[in-house]
Amino acid sequence: MTLLSIENLCVELEGPNGVCRLLDQVNLSLSKGQCLGLVGESGCGKSMTAMAIIGLLPQGMRAHGKILLNGEDLLKADEERLCQLRGRKVAMVFQEPMTALNPVVPIGRQVAEGLRLHLGLTRHEAETRASQTLARVGLPVERFALSLFPHQLSGGQRQRVVIAMALACGPEILVADEPTTALDVTVQAQILDLLADIIDEFGMGLVLITHDLGVVAETTDTMAVMYAGRLVEDGPTVEVFERMAHPYTRGLFAAMPSHSSEGSTTRSPLTTIPGRVPDALSRPAGCPFVTRCGFATDLCSRELPLMKTLGHRHNAACFNIAHVEEGS
Amino acid sequence: MTLFLVKRLIMLAATLLVAAIVVFSVLEILPGDPALVMLGVSAQPDTLAALRAEMGLDQPAWTRFFQWIGGLMTGELGRSYTYDVPVSELIGERVVVSLPLAVMALTLSTVIAIPLGVIAASRHNKTLDIALTGAAQFGIAIPNFWFAILLILLFSVTLQWVPAGGFAGWDAGFWPATQSLLLPAFALALPQAAILTRVTRSSVLEVLQEDFVRTARAKGLSRNAALWRHAVRNALIPVITILGLQFSFLLAGTIIIENVFYLPGLGRLLFQAIAQRDLIVVKDLVVLLAGSVVLVNFIVDLGYAVLDPRLRSGGGHV
Ligand SMILES: Nc1ncnc2c1ncn2[C@@H]1O[C@H](COP(=O)(O)OP(=O)(O)OP(=O)(O)O)[C@@H](O)[C@H]1O
Ligand SMILES: [Mg+2]
Repeated sequence: MTLLSIENLCVELEGPNGVCRLLDQVNLSLSKGQCLGLVGESGCGKSMTAMAIIGLLPQGMRAHGKILLNGEDLLKADEERLCQLRGRKVAMVFQEPMTALNPVVPIGRQVAEGLRLHLGLTRHEAETRASQTLARVGLPVERFALSLFPHQLSGGQRQRVVIAMALACGPEILVADEPTTALDVTVQAQILDLLADIIDEFGMGLVLITHDLGVVAETTDTMAVMYAGRLVEDGPTVEVFERMAHPYTRGLFAAMPSHSSEGSTTRSPLTTIPGRVPDALSRPAGCPFVTRCGFATDLCSRELPLMKTLGHRHNAACFNIAHVEEGS
Repeated sequence: MTLFLVKRLIMLAATLLVAAIVVFSVLEILPGDPALVMLGVSAQPDTLAALRAEMGLDQPAWTRFFQWIGGLMTGELGRSYTYDVPVSELIGERVVVSLPLAVMALTLSTVIAIPLGVIAASRHNKTLDIALTGAAQFGIAIPNFWFAILLILLFSVTLQWVPAGGFAGWDAGFWPATQSLLLPAFALALPQAAILTRVTRSSVLEVLQEDFVRTARAKGLSRNAALWRHAVRNALIPVITILGLQFSFLLAGTIIIENVFYLPGLGRLLFQAIAQRDLIVVKDLVVLLAGSVVLVNFIVDLGYAVLDPRLRSGGGHV
């Protein structure tokens, strides 16, 4: 059953030098109990996609297309309706646990706030629920009193509070924007395990944004690769990893530190993708990846490749898929 | 929290001591004979000798300093030469005018400025924000005595709502006394409120960019709820710093404003004491005013601790 379906989402920013398109024709879908991984290098628009889903794009940005949550178009909903949905149906976990919590409000109140707002619980009921939720994410009330302030917790513990806040009202979709980037490796693994357990237990959908392909391989059911505001490849995680039809996906994969050393006793040096992402204002007419691509032809710099279906729900936007796959 | 309090109290006492030393030394190094300065060159030699003895000028400076400090602590402030009454009595009569005036002015400026600053920030770059910022700019530019004169012209002369000056005295009842402080309090408060509005506005605008405001919005809070419940409290931390700093300007303002409104307060007393070279009164008053500034800063420090839990404990993880 499709929970969330994003159709032709475009996000534009009106600046002094004209309109600049930060997201272009993004299509994504997510079912109940599933995890969708969104990967791409810094600045490609992953966070923009997340903010569009929760309806909190920065001022001056306009979104069009469709974001359907159980069939209801969020881009058409008014602010009041969005306030009802945020935290209740769609919840968000942010990248920086150090700054995502209000430093002057006790953690219990921060978790209970959504419960009181959306479910109309009394202060006492909300606090009971909050302590249950905190216990579920690994912060039992015996050791982590509701009256603690964020500065009294470590980064990993704070991220658990943020997750508890997101979970509190039992949302249908959880959007986690690089939930572990700011944490050290062991804590990262714990937080990811927690997220995976939770979607199993609550049956919600998870949109997991990351630039770590290892995390995507381990955690997600489907994945989408973004480049310069566009999707370049998406599909079931297993299939995308098997074929890696788009040269950018290959580049990302080759640039992964843990993979390149796998199976060999000596660490091979890290591969990087040459060049950098074209700025949203000065994108070339053809494929945005053309200047960095080893397979580029004349056609690539003239025309924009559209998404082509390669197999069951697996798509890639490249003219030279055959060449890319041969070259492997 | 207790440790915090003790530390602040020690700081408070130390600052007061330093203030007393500075005041004493400044008056000590003034050239010439203080008694002669007070009496003027035409003074009779026996009056001069009597005053010198009373001021203890025949004793070494450090003895006089400790006698003076001891007197300050026990409330024995000496005797005013020009008024011929104990300084403590003189100050006591004036404090009941100046203290309510200062409290009223501070309250007014806070009550006006903080909501206006928050509202301006929440309407960032909209008409209301621009109007409020413009009004604040105007308020900053107007000196308080000129503003006082405008207030007198409007409310006392034209509308005849409140008296133009003088103090009814608390014996006349609460309302008449408060009424005579109303215009002076506004005259003191408005220029300060103008500054405070701008500080509040920029502080709120800064906090609104913080991640936790976005988190609050993601929880489903409306813009206004996120603003008032999450942003304002964080934004007040720099605001109370300015509030503390403003207090000393407020005291300086009372010297002028009490003269404009003929209020028998400490500011006017200081002004008259300086004009009449009553150095005993000047010395005590300056320490008292410095002490009140230090005390207000102590209260501001407590305010930080109330607003910001990070300052209460020494930090540290569970
Ligand atoms: N407030 C803003 N105003 C204007 N442009 C913005 C704003 N925030 C982001 N952008 C632009 O939008 C594009 C996408 O940014 P986004 O934050 O979605 O990247 P990201 O994929 O999340 O990167 P990262 O991995 O670093 O988090 C970037 O090119 C950035 O310059
Ligand atoms: Mg991001």
